[in-house]
Amino acid sequence: MNMERRELESAAATYANLKGLLGIPGGLLAILAALGNWEWGPLRHTWVFLGVALLLGAASLLISRYYAEHYGRVTLSRAQRRRAAAAVIVGAPLMFGAALLLRSRAGWSLDLPVNAIPASFALLMLATYAAAAVLRTHHVIIFGSLAVAGLLPVWDGADPSNTGLVLVGVAIIAAGILDHRLLVRTFGPPKGLKLSNAGA
Amino acid sequence: MPERDEELILDRLIHEPGRLAILTVLSSVEDADFVFLQRTTGLTKGNLSSHLTKLEEAGLVEIEKRFIRKKPNTNVALTAVGRQRVARHWSQLERLKSLSETPATAVAGDHSSSR
Repeated sequence: MNMERRELESAAATYANLKGLLGIPGGLLAILAALGNWEWGPLRHTWVFLGVALLLGAASLLISRYYAEHYGRVTLSRAQRRRAAAAVIVGAPLMFGAALLLRSRAGWSLDLPVNAIPASFALLMLATYAAAAVLRTHHVIIFGSLAVAGLLPVWDGADPSNTGLVLVGVAIIAAGILDHRLLVRTFGPPKGLKLSNAGA
Repeated sequence: MPERDEELILDRLIHEPGRLAILTVLSSVEDADFVFLQRTTGLTKGNLSSHLTKLEEAGLVEIEKRFIRKKPNTNVALTAVGRQRVARHWSQLERLKSLSETPATAVAGDHSSSR
């Protein structure tokens, strides 16, 4: 038998959390948003950015299909779905609130040149993984470093938000790749089993 | 046989490791397909298929055969009875485990006092 009781019971939640390749389009979108804000190359045109965003959406669908075909489809329990939805509903406004607060308190009141976007995003990710999933070593290293980088008072000069977005994108991609590697170690390589969905 | 011992008799259908793994995975989700069960249990297609057939015949799981993008897909969900029985089975195993960890003298004393 591959897994023990606790692992079997948490297999679906583990699977949902480790579909890391989905982080690649997400991370690229953050980087492209920064490049668009900088009016870099063709991304200075809004329609180019929207087109690329649509392509990334299509890539996400293909990645979801890859996971479904190689690792299967599972519907999480109602409690698990509620917890995931709560993490998104509470997390998103919390992140924007924290970024605004950090920017106003540290940037203006204390005159500390911190980068609010990567710092608040990293703290949100760490809190979400700890509360709604499993906080793994690579999450602590990647998002911990991102938080530290954002909170270091070295962001003098022009608005550092776009550099922050690039850092966020890189962190999402790095964490996603490591999540996917962990998924392969846990559930086996994509072509490891003679898979079939026409059983029983 | 005393009632207390009878409570500890394990359900042979569920106790088989492959079937117990399938039911344990299903007990934590709403439903899962054949590939996901293969991935989590490590069973071959043939073994998983035969275990699922036995579990369906016993009324512990519901199997739905469907097509997704023109490809056959087998979806499996635990029935209410299946959910109860796998929960009961795990609690029996926990009790047996705790009994096995009880020092022998305490068990002997318990038996002599119950006679």
